[in-house]
Amino acid sequence: MDMSLLPPELCEAERGFPAALQACGDLDALMRLKGAFIGREGSHAARMMELLKAAPKEQKRELGAAINALKGQWEESIRIRQAELEDAKRKQGALAQAWDPELPPPAPAKGAMHPLNRLMDRMVEVFRPLGYHVEEGPEVETEAHNFDGLNIPADHPARGSADTFYLKEHAELLLRTHTSPVQVRVMQRLAPTLEEKGGIRFLAPGRVYRKDEIDPTHSPMFHQVEGLLVGKGIGMHHLKGTLNYAMKALFGPKAEVRFRPSYFPFTEPSCEVDVRCPLCGGDGCRVCKGSGWVELLGAGLVHPNVLRFSGIDPEVWSGFAFGIGVERTAMMVSQTPDLRLFFENDTRFLAAMGGLD
Amino acid sequence: MLIEIKALAQELPAVAGMQVNELCELSAALGFPVDGVSQEDGETIIEVDVTANRGDVLSHRGFARDLAARIGGKLAPLACPTLEEGAPLMPIHLRAGAACPIYSTAVLDLGEGPGTPEAARRFLASMGSNAKGFAPVDGSNELLFRYGHPTHAFDADRLKGCLIVRWAEEGETLVTLDGVERKLSPKDLLIADESGPVALAGVMGGDSTKVTPETKRVLLESAWFDARSVRATAHRHGLHSDASYRFGRGADPAMARTGRDLLARRLMDWGGAVLHGAWTAGEVPAAPAAIRLTEATLHRLTGSPISLGEAQPLLERLGFQVVRSADGLHAQPPTWRHDMEIEVDLAEEVLRMRGYDTIPMALPPLEGHPEPLSANYVQRKNLALRLAHLGFHQTVTLGFVSPELDAEFMSALGVDNPQGGRTLVNPLGVEYSVMRGSLLPSLRATAEYNLRQGAREVRLFEISPTYFSTPEGPQETLKLAIVWTGTLGGESYLSPARPVRSADLVGVARDLGLTVLPKVHELGEGVFGIEFPLGELGRPQERIIPAFQAFSRFPVMERDLSLLVAMDQSYAALREAMVQVLPQGTLQSLDCVDVFRHKNLPQGKQAWLMRFRFQHMERTLTGAEVDGWVASALKVAQGLGAELRG
Repeated sequence: MDMSLLPPELCEAERGFPAALQACGDLDALMRLKGAFIGREGSHAARMMELLKAAPKEQKRELGAAINALKGQWEESIRIRQAELEDAKRKQGALAQAWDPELPPPAPAKGAMHPLNRLMDRMVEVFRPLGYHVEEGPEVETEAHNFDGLNIPADHPARGSADTFYLKEHAELLLRTHTSPVQVRVMQRLAPTLEEKGGIRFLAPGRVYRKDEIDPTHSPMFHQVEGLLVGKGIGMHHLKGTLNYAMKALFGPKAEVRFRPSYFPFTEPSCEVDVRCPLCGGDGCRVCKGSGWVELLGAGLVHPNVLRFSGIDPEVWSGFAFGIGVERTAMMVSQTPDLRLFFENDTRFLAAMGGLD
Repeated sequence: MLIEIKALAQELPAVAGMQVNELCELSAALGFPVDGVSQEDGETIIEVDVTANRGDVLSHRGFARDLAARIGGKLAPLACPTLEEGAPLMPIHLRAGAACPIYSTAVLDLGEGPGTPEAARRFLASMGSNAKGFAPVDGSNELLFRYGHPTHAFDADRLKGCLIVRWAEEGETLVTLDGVERKLSPKDLLIADESGPVALAGVMGGDSTKVTPETKRVLLESAWFDARSVRATAHRHGLHSDASYRFGRGADPAMARTGRDLLARRLMDWGGAVLHGAWTAGEVPAAPAAIRLTEATLHRLTGSPISLGEAQPLLERLGFQVVRSADGLHAQPPTWRHDMEIEVDLAEEVLRMRGYDTIPMALPPLEGHPEPLSANYVQRKNLALRLAHLGFHQTVTLGFVSPELDAEFMSALGVDNPQGGRTLVNPLGVEYSVMRGSLLPSLRATAEYNLRQGAREVRLFEISPTYFSTPEGPQETLKLAIVWTGTLGGESYLSPARPVRSADLVGVARDLGLTVLPKVHELGEGVFGIEFPLGELGRPQERIIPAFQAFSRFPVMERDLSLLVAMDQSYAALREAMVQVLPQGTLQSLDCVDVFRHKNLPQGKQAWLMRFRFQHMERTLTGAEVDGWVASALKVAQGLGAELRG
């Protein structure tokens, strides 16, 4: 453009425009610049329009073109700068809104079920597909349910006050020493309708008490899961099939199970069930005391005297029963070194061992 | 029971060729798992776990007998000539009937022989028993471990007149070998001479007639005592000896004479003793009747056919006298087996000999309908899972507490629950003596423990029975207790810190569906707890999906009202009064959503921000009618002393 047509102050403004534009650090400054250069009134552009109006006719065309070009150039530059500043402001705003996701977020509180309860619930789940439901009985029991009904002789040492807790004002009451009295209670209840029902099958998870001092492997209170099945023609093969399934469901399909003869007053034949030591795989270690096997539960066919006591004819009905030590199983699968941890209830232990799923 | 492999091989030579782990597996398969293997003086010792019903296995020979039956091996013959029965040198009277049917004895002059041989000393050491260097004692111990039959030697010169096996009389006493004076009960079986008791039968000898280095002449005792009586006496006097352990689990009456012969032979061989005479009072009791075993039973027990032809030799190898007839096997147990009563007992022996591993596996058929999981169990499980998801840790604490702690809580909870009916006779200690009336003391202790361990916030719950005294005994009620303490939040830039408040627990209780809210107990500085019977939670829905209830799709109108109320204003009363004048069905909710307490408010006042939500089932509400309702609610509030806050 031919600047010679413009007065010196406009030439000055034209020269200073790029620097002034750059100096606008924010949108407010840019708006002020915009007003000064291309605003409707009092701006350099308005001044130029006045000049144009007053210019001689023969110059008008040339001057007009020059003014338009200059104004257009300013407008374009301001538009670009405005876009730049708006973008920068948006970015600034976005940054102010953004939080580093690595900053610790508010954590939802996390609790846990007790590992022993979790394990018992798991056992119920394992037996559920076989048609077992859950039965419960009181923890304060009668001698009749805890001992007599289970064919435990009157002079059996387990009945002594060195092994069993008794109540002061109720000589016949004790703290149950196993979950087996639930068998007696359920059989007595169902005996009259057994034919109609077709049989009995249930698990009885629960707390039991024995007079043991508290140490790394003993507690005066612990947990058992009792199982009972009564039907017609029930034999050891059924017990083996059931426990073999259950142990594999609990410990994995490769779990190896061993049945060996044993003795309990309430079962005949009786057996103990071992699983291949999960720690050493059978080579022998501290946990399995070198034998390669860990004893997990006692079981057997229900003794005819036990059926008879509860009013069930052993000539017609037979069944099997088993009892699993919950702490023992929990300690074995988790390698927990001390039984007392389960009753100390340190939330760090509970969170790590119990979990939520 | 300790078994020395070398001594075992002397009874059953086939063992000599076995690896130790092979022997352990075999033992376990017979029902006697091995608890440990050790070396003592170059000999391998295994610790065998023998079940309580098998007293006959509690010796090297007894154990060997079961092993032999399983592997079809032969026991070494008993190397002992039988003594000739002669005339009694001292009368023996058996006056206890079936509790002692046979009493075999011999009198010997002790000699000047070399004493207990080295081999016997080493064997006793292997058994964890020190040799006394004294043939009557060491010989008796050695044959106990080897053959399982307890014997005793009296100083014959200190016995007076005769020997009587009888029940004790009230008031009689006996100083036993351990120097303790025992007050005898008429249920104690004892050996007496003319002067009184000289031994507790099958349990321990008396001090006054014991063998000493000065003893010149001994009278040996090898009898058979009833297991029940021995167990009871041992228990009554807290006197558990090797002898009472074996008699108490059932000894072999046929070993009475043999035991005497074996002991006499040891005295003669080791000490150069001279036999004066041997005689026996009574007889080995008649063997118990035969038990019948059928093929049908074997089939039922195993699900697979086992022929009587196969079962018979297995039982015979165990010492049973078996006769086969048309209706099955009739097997008479050997004298050493006291655990055979019914057919399944016999069947178990057949299975034990065949090996439990030969029994096939099958799942029993499902007869009848399976039952659903009980509502109680499902409720408890879901509740635990829910509380765990709400951040609470499930605890398991002991069911008994100290009387002081229990009393403190019973009085704090205002429950009249006498302790007598919940107290144990024989607790582990007084701090474990009362069946708890509340779970809160245990949870408080656990919460405090966790705080001491550095936890900022502790949330605990337990679902367990509590006990309430009734004339019939403690009544069990399953309760849920929740304890919450510590500092909430403050661990993240979005959650400011504040102490746990009792209102937090009320919120949880409400969330669990409690309509009548339990009292929140402040169990300690900032430790809050609630406890209530699970029954109060109400039953889970019977229906899978409840019946449909219509809801409004018209707009919700919301209004806030800030009220100045007295500090002690009851919220429930104020709210209820306002609800009364509002259109039921259209009022969706009315809640206090903020409480403002500030020094700039008038003295003794606080501000409650009440939020109303209205929604009509059939139309859009107008602003005017809603404002009218709020105004009428305000009027009611003002009637109760509230003011509109400007």
